Amino acid sequence: MRRFNQWLLLPMLVALTILTAGFADSGRRYDDLGHEMMCACGCGQVLIECNHMGCPDSGPMLAELRTAIQRGDSDNTILTAFQNKYGPTILAAPMLTKFNIVAWVIPPALLLIGIGATLMLVRKWKLRTVPMPNVPQEPAFRTLRDRIRRETEL
Amino acid sequence: MPAFGSFALLLGLVLSGYSLLAGAIALRQLSTGSRGRVSPERLAETARRAGIGSFIAASCAAFALVWAAFTNDFSVSYILHHSNRALPGPYKFAALWSGQEGSLLLWAWLLSAYGFVLRLRHKVDVTLTAYASAILAGIQVFFFLLLNFAATPFSLVSGAVPQDGFGLNPLLQYPEMVIHPPMLYLGYVGFSVPFAFALGALMMRYPGEKWIHITRRWTMVTWLFLTCGIFLGAHWAYAVLGWGGYWGWDPVENASLMPWLTGTAFLHSVMMQEKRGMMKSWNVWLIFSTFMLSILGTLLTRSGLVSSVHAFAQSSIGSWFWAFLVIVLAVCTFTYILHRDHLKTENKLESLVSRESSFLFNNLVLLVACFTVLWGTFFPVLSEYVQGNKVTVSAPFYNRVAVPIGLFLLFLTGIGPLLAWRSTSFRSIRRNLVLPSIAALVTAVVVMFCGVHPWEIFTTNDQGSFYSWVAFSLAAFVVTAVASEFLRGAHVIQRHTGQNLFASMVQLTRRNTRRYGGYIVHFGVVVIFIGLAGHAFNQTQEQELGFKQSFHLGPYRIECLDYSQDSNSNYDTEFALLDVYRGGKKITRLSPELRFYTASQQTSTIVANHSTPAWDLYVIYAGKNPDTGQPIIKAFLNPLVMWIWIGVVIVAVGTGIALVPNMSAALASARNRPQDASAKENEMAAAGRGGD
Amino acid sequence: MSLIASGLLLIAIFVYVFYPERNVEAQRGKTRLEYLFERRDVLYDNLRDLNFEHSAGKYPEEDFVAQRAALENETAEVLAEIDLLESRWTGTTNSQAVRPSR
Repeated sequence: MRRFNQWLLLPMLVALTILTAGFADSGRRYDDLGHEMMCACGCGQVLIECNHMGCPDSGPMLAELRTAIQRGDSDNTILTAFQNKYGPTILAAPMLTKFNIVAWVIPPALLLIGIGATLMLVRKWKLRTVPMPNVPQEPAFRTLRDRIRRETEL
Repeated sequence: MPAFGSFALLLGLVLSGYSLLAGAIALRQLSTGSRGRVSPERLAETARRAGIGSFIAASCAAFALVWAAFTNDFSVSYILHHSNRALPGPYKFAALWSGQEGSLLLWAWLLSAYGFVLRLRHKVDVTLTAYASAILAGIQVFFFLLLNFAATPFSLVSGAVPQDGFGLNPLLQYPEMVIHPPMLYLGYVGFSVPFAFALGALMMRYPGEKWIHITRRWTMVTWLFLTCGIFLGAHWAYAVLGWGGYWGWDPVENASLMPWLTGTAFLHSVMMQEKRGMMKSWNVWLIFSTFMLSILGTLLTRSGLVSSVHAFAQSSIGSWFWAFLVIVLAVCTFTYILHRDHLKTENKLESLVSRESSFLFNNLVLLVACFTVLWGTFFPVLSEYVQGNKVTVSAPFYNRVAVPIGLFLLFLTGIGPLLAWRSTSFRSIRRNLVLPSIAALVTAVVVMFCGVHPWEIFTTNDQGSFYSWVAFSLAAFVVTAVASEFLRGAHVIQRHTGQNLFASMVQLTRRNTRRYGGYIVHFGVVVIFIGLAGHAFNQTQEQELGFKQSFHLGPYRIECLDYSQDSNSNYDTEFALLDVYRGGKKITRLSPELRFYTASQQTSTIVANHSTPAWDLYVIYAGKNPDTGQPIIKAFLNPLVMWIWIGVVIVAVGTGIALVPNMSAALASARNRPQDASAKENEMAAAGRGGD
Repeated sequence: MSLIASGLLLIAIFVYVFYPERNVEAQRGKTRLEYLFERRDVLYDNLRDLNFEHSAGKYPEEDFVAQRAALENETAEVLAEIDLLESRWTGTTNSQAVRPSR
């Protein structure tokens, strides 16, 4: 029953995300989308953070973004429109399309594979660990052991 | 003076070449038992001295370039392009590293300086140092070759010598810029030393792990320099570039982060080798990779392979670095294949719940983080190759991919100290985890009431709040774990010595500086994470302001008192005088500026920042409205930024403590129990010592 | 000026490099005994660390006893070999052994 509830919770959260996504206020969307794109002037800065004097591109681009948001375009539509107009390098991060998916998938996949491999390695090492030998009882060993304890105990 | 500089560089090349060849021949003779006309010991000694001589030669070359800058010798092309008469003295000194050729000379000089110290301290292990010295000489040869044939800093201008230089890039005319590049280079170059020792130890099949002991301080100092260099760069970006942030995930920034990540992994995993003879191959490859990533970082900065805001001009120098990188990789691989049987592990991991396994996971996460940065940096190149078009991989990518990895690392920082070496029983871990977990839960609830709403990741798709919430909770977890570790240790000391808790903690730290200094470093890292978590709550406002006009941002009201312009021989400036009020009371006056540097014909913003532990009020002069002549002021309210810089200071202090030798048993006993010192006490003093 | 400075630099470095002291440091490999002393020091540190962590409450008693026994066995082997090598060595020479300090 508990597991069933957990499974029910996931689609509910997804639905909630989708339903509420549209309610994000336009100021926040402007800020978010402004951070999703680069300035086209070649300064290498994120669009909304471009601050170099006399930039010919950031002002018009931000105005375009504001208009698109006021028009009610979705995030995806806006990003695609900018990409079509200014080229693929205008997006600050690759979209989840074709080969670009690889950019997003590889690092987390590597982490998961790494965790799995580490766990397997630890397990393998544990299985190989030689059982602890019996403590020898000869007097020579006992003398050495006493000496070791004397020199290392608290 | 340029002729002297060029001669010194040529001499440096000859000396490092001799140090490499003579050193290699001597070591070969020693290992095979053969003898030439000169005894191998004497030959090795001349190689060592030639290495020392190469430092003197490099120093002379660096001196010649600085001298040329201070005497305004514009016949030297490099000085012409990176200095001018009106440039203040400290920035003339900084001209040494403000361009391609000068910064390579700085690299060569620092490398020679490290080599100088290493060769002076050769008695610590004569043969191992001889190997390391020869390897270091090989690296020196590469840099001297570059300086003599590919990027000569002393090339002369053709034709008439101009009266004045083109000046230094205005972005570099900032006090931190005088410190940041040398710090970073000290970090980059410093990894050459543990690299040389590791490769040398493998080549000579050095028995035991003493080479790690010898290089431990070198690695820690190097790591500290790199850490300081990275954060000085971040602070410079924050204070100078005027975009309100400190880290832009630019390829050049990434280049410095990659060796830092692998270097951090090395510092942790090397403890397993020192203590338990484990992970030998892994450690060797970690330090090899760290060195190669340092070279790769330099390659990225200088080859024009990836576009970056602050890379040097594109040049043919990239092919030299590629060639060097391939040679280094080939030498490392060949040596490893030849001697890999020497790196057989002495012990196996006994339990998943142990300090060793926490190091293993820590290494995994650090390496995945390093790979993510490398992947993101090179993906545009890969995309162009595969898809035929470049894409941009910038902050949004790293924020989504690297931030969760960073948080996982923070979690491990808290878990690690709670685990014992070899094996920890679940009963013990449960007991040790209780307090940190409670602290994390309480913090999670408290910060939610303070306005951090993790559920916004679902309602507004805002990941920032969620990540900040996780960061704050984990910060509480780690701080409690570190504090309880201190307390547990101090109680043991207290039981045996009867000292008060604080004195016990001090003594505990002094008895095992490496471990407890390390915990202080962890605490510093937590403080840095707290500062970074504030980024999610940044606010910004831009407005044109006339006389006595004002606007509000957070708790502040910013009022324009005046605006004007001024000029001096170096630059013209426009600025505004702004009074900042909080709750009706004036708290400070800020003066953001916009400078136009005459020699270089470039503009630069001078940020005005009012920093408090809660937030920074960060104000820039964004320009002037041409119609009204009034200034446009952009203000940012950046929460918790100060904690980042405080965290770095704590990290530096922690590393400093870790560098101090442990208090000796005799000293501890003499100081703390003058009368009734027993043999037991004497041994007790040594108890906290040892590895981590 | 540059020529004189360059000449002086060249002569000074040449003299420094090629006229080293008569008694150069001997190049020799690490002896087995030196290696064993290093091992002993590491094992002693591990044992002290184990004792300290046990006192700090990180190890339950049964884990501690098992770990200590394993480390003591290993250390005893090293100490036994050190004693053997030292007795052989002192038997063959009268000169004083260079015994690394702990």
